[in-house]
Amino acid sequence: MISFYELVDRTMVGKYCPPSEFEMGVLVPKIEEVVSKYKIKADPKNPVPSDDDLADRVFQAAFELLRDVGLYCPDSERIVQFSEDELRDAVAEAPSAPVFGQGKDAKPLVARKTDSDSPPWCFIGAGGNAVSSEELYASLMEAYASFLPLADSITGPTLASINGRRVRTGTPLEVKAAIRATVLAREALRRGGRPGLSIMNSIATAGSDTAKIAGSQFGLKPSDVFCTCFSAELKLEYQRYNEVAFAQAVGAHVVAGCGPVYGGYCGGGEGMAVINVAYHLASIIALRGSCQLTFPIHFKYGCNTEPGLLWAYSVSTQAISRNSHFPVLNLTYVAAGPVTEMCLYEIAAGVTASVVSGASGIEFGGVAKCTHMDHCTPMEPRLASEVAHAVAGMTRKEANEIVKKLLPHYEGHLDSPPIGKKYEECWDIHRKTPNEEYVTLYKKIKKDLADLGIQT
Amino acid sequence: MIEEKLFEDLKNAIVELDDDKAVKGAKDSIAQGIDPLESIEKGLSPGMQIIGDKFDRMEVYLPELIRAGNTFNAAMKILEPEIVKAGKDKKSSGTVVLGTVSGDIHKIGKDILAMLMKVRGFDVHNLGEDVSMSAFINKAVEVKADIIGMSSLLTTTMPGQKEVIDLLTEKGVRDQFIIMVGGGPVSQEWAQEIGADGYAETAEQAIVLAEELIAGKK
Repeated sequence: MISFYELVDRTMVGKYCPPSEFEMGVLVPKIEEVVSKYKIKADPKNPVPSDDDLADRVFQAAFELLRDVGLYCPDSERIVQFSEDELRDAVAEAPSAPVFGQGKDAKPLVARKTDSDSPPWCFIGAGGNAVSSEELYASLMEAYASFLPLADSITGPTLASINGRRVRTGTPLEVKAAIRATVLAREALRRGGRPGLSIMNSIATAGSDTAKIAGSQFGLKPSDVFCTCFSAELKLEYQRYNEVAFAQAVGAHVVAGCGPVYGGYCGGGEGMAVINVAYHLASIIALRGSCQLTFPIHFKYGCNTEPGLLWAYSVSTQAISRNSHFPVLNLTYVAAGPVTEMCLYEIAAGVTASVVSGASGIEFGGVAKCTHMDHCTPMEPRLASEVAHAVAGMTRKEANEIVKKLLPHYEGHLDSPPIGKKYEECWDIHRKTPNEEYVTLYKKIKKDLADLGIQT
Repeated sequence: MIEEKLFEDLKNAIVELDDDKAVKGAKDSIAQGIDPLESIEKGLSPGMQIIGDKFDRMEVYLPELIRAGNTFNAAMKILEPEIVKAGKDKKSSGTVVLGTVSGDIHKIGKDILAMLMKVRGFDVHNLGEDVSMSAFINKAVEVKADIIGMSSLLTTTMPGQKEVIDLLTEKGVRDQFIIMVGGGPVSQEWAQEIGADGYAETAEQAIVLAEELIAGKK
């Protein structure tokens, strides 16, 4: 693989491209070209297809896309280009079983294949959802540790306020909050009985490299993670390269994140499927990741359980699992919030599609689109992990029929989903237990899922 | 009859994303002595509406919106000088300055909104991402904007929306502009808290609200 220094060199000497020209002048034409060349056609009526040839064509299309388009550096306004051989080498040399966590919670994350019965990795918790106070933050993190027995790693919330002040990116408040969040997270996991669990989204509170690096000094271990993300689409800023440079120096994992936008510059399902795989390749060669984390988003619905997007998510995951040993984690965003039936049905659909398609694991969760303060509880990630384990070993064909039966439970409400309840409205935040209403609902939906074929 | 055909050609040029056809249609309409404002109203704008509707139904996506805008602009390059010559003004739904706030580099949702607003006849000045307070305000003053629209995709960049409003108030020009806010973590409650005039969860809702707020201002 090319060296990190060579990579940085290319951000400075690569072909110049004005910001206004990259998307419509370089990226979009190539996406359209490869989609046509490789005859990729979306089929939202079958959100979990069983078409190995299609998956392989998507991988080839993505390879060609990244080879010909490269990665844009907005800071230098230059394109970082990779040769075919460099990309092939990167895939061959990519990490295959990185170990996350410490002590008895240390575990390797390995790639899975389509229809595999190997248990998926469960990276579960808040998915970066914002919480309004340190008390709620600590309560949630402790509850995640104690209430989620299937958790292999934790995704923490974003701390939105510190010392009564709203956290503002780029200011000392962000640095302070990042430090506070890390300290609280580590202590909360210890209180919850799982101090060795990896916090795999590092410090969700930290948007800037400064805050992330500062916060990491107060409790992030190398067995934790620097979660570092591309900007949509196929862009990587110096702040992200800075984080990688630091992570390499301390020996920390990088979880390489990407959130392609369905309906945006990549177009619909076909382009989404291709670009998601392109990000997989870029995660290896540019972000030097230990795994890819992908969270495609529907521009209109703010979630990724819409059938057209589910199709793209499934196909791209299949493409990756069939052609790469580099692990990929799929983050499901649901539109509805806690204590709603819709939320739980969406979780079942999204997680099922990901696991049978060969995702190495899941991240959950993105509840109520991850945009409503305090609207997340441990119940949703618990269901996600139970479904993930339950569907391991299911074929794509079986899963497709189940997902098609799940869709009517929520599809018609994606444009006006119920946001449900806040954490403290449905949980005892001190005892870290759900209230009876939520337990009753949970049991009902689990029974419904069992009737559909998902035995949790 | 000739007029109707030319309007139809202009409309189809937009729908087909055909710049050459749009330019030809514009030139032909001028040669026929058709009022350029009518060519826009009965030809180009209906074409943009069709594209907007297709986008709503997810039959086309952001690249098609942008290309339709480019096709529209290609025709306008021909029509605009004629409008100016005649001493008229192109009808506009309103002037909007749009951007993602300082510290935030998310762009796609905001770009989609910008294009949809253009489709619906707004004059849109898209300042891009990581836009400073002064950039918002200076541009709004320069173009005599009706609306300043601010997007924020992170909880920790939302305060940037309040910062712009506070600065407008400090400068004594708050009442000159309608302030609309949006983006993932933004809510109606937040909009009210910071003194914004409007909040919309989706691009479609934002356009309807913008039209209502501008009508109310007049």
